[in-house]
Amino acid sequence: MALSRSMRTCLHSGRLALLAILVSSGIVLQILACALYNNWWPMLTVLMYLILPMPLIFFLGSDTSSIMSKEGDSWVNFTKFLTGASIVGSIAIPSILKHAGVIGWGALTMELSSFVVFGVAILWFLQMNSEDEYSGVF
Amino acid sequence: MENLALLWGIIGPGVSGAIFGAGWWFWVDAVVCSAVQVSFLHYLPGIFATLAALMFNCVNKDEIGYDYYSPYGDDSEWRVKLWLFVAYVVSFVCLAGSVGLLVQDALTNKGPSVWTGVAGVLQCVLVLISGLVYWTCHSED
Repeated sequence: MALSRSMRTCLHSGRLALLAILVSSGIVLQILACALYNNWWPMLTVLMYLILPMPLIFFLGSDTSSIMSKEGDSWVNFTKFLTGASIVGSIAIPSILKHAGVIGWGALTMELSSFVVFGVAILWFLQMNSEDEYSGVF
Repeated sequence: MENLALLWGIIGPGVSGAIFGAGWWFWVDAVVCSAVQVSFLHYLPGIFATLAALMFNCVNKDEIGYDYYSPYGDDSEWRVKLWLFVAYVVSFVCLAGSVGLLVQDALTNKGPSVWTGVAGVLQCVLVLISGLVYWTCHSED
C-alpha cells in the first residue's frame, strides 16, 4: 500500500509521539512506585537506568549499527556484557528491596512494569531506526 | 545452524553479562537479607570464581592449536596450558568451597542461614557459566 509522502511523515511523527508517551509513562511509574508509598528506596533503580546507556555511549559513540552485527572488536563485546549486567541489575534491585522487606508488593509491581515499559520503548525505537535505514530519510 | 551461530555472536556477550549479573546480585541479596554478619570467608568463593572466569577469558581459542607459532619460541604451548590449568583449579576449588560452606551453614543454627550458603553456590556456578559463555562467543572473530 503506497502512502503519500505527507501521510508517511505524519505516521512517523505519530509513532515518535507514542514512543515519547511510553517513555514518560515509564518514568511516571517509577516515581509513583516511590511516592505512593512514601518510601524513596526504589529510586536506587534509577542508578541502574543511568548506568545502562553508559557503556554504549563510551565505547560505541555513534556507531550504533555494530551492536546488531556479529563482527566488531572486543570492546563491543565488553559493551554488550556490561549492558546485559545492567539490565539484570535493574530487575535485581527491586527484587532485593522486596526480599529484604524494605518495599511492598505494589511498589515492586510498579518498578517491574516501569522496566518492561522502558524495554518495549527501547526495542520499538531500535526497530524504527532500522526501518528508517531501509526507506531512506525524507 | 548457521543462523544460530550468527545470532549467538550477536547476543552472546549480553547473555553472559546477564548471567554474571544474576550471580552477583543473588549474593548481594543473601548478604542484605542475612540476619547475622556474613564473614569475609563467605565472600571468597565468589571473588575467586570471578578471578577464574577472567583468567580463562584471557586465552584465545587458537593459541591451543597444535600448529601455533608464537613469538616466544616453538615450545610455548605449555604456558597457555598452565594458565588454563591454574584457572580450572581455582574454579573447582571455589565450587568445592562454596558447597562446603553451604553444608556448614545448613548444619549449625548460629552462623549464616541456609539461603546464604545456597546463594554462594548459585553465585559460583552462575559466574563460572558466564565466563564460559563469554569465552565461546568472543573467540569467534
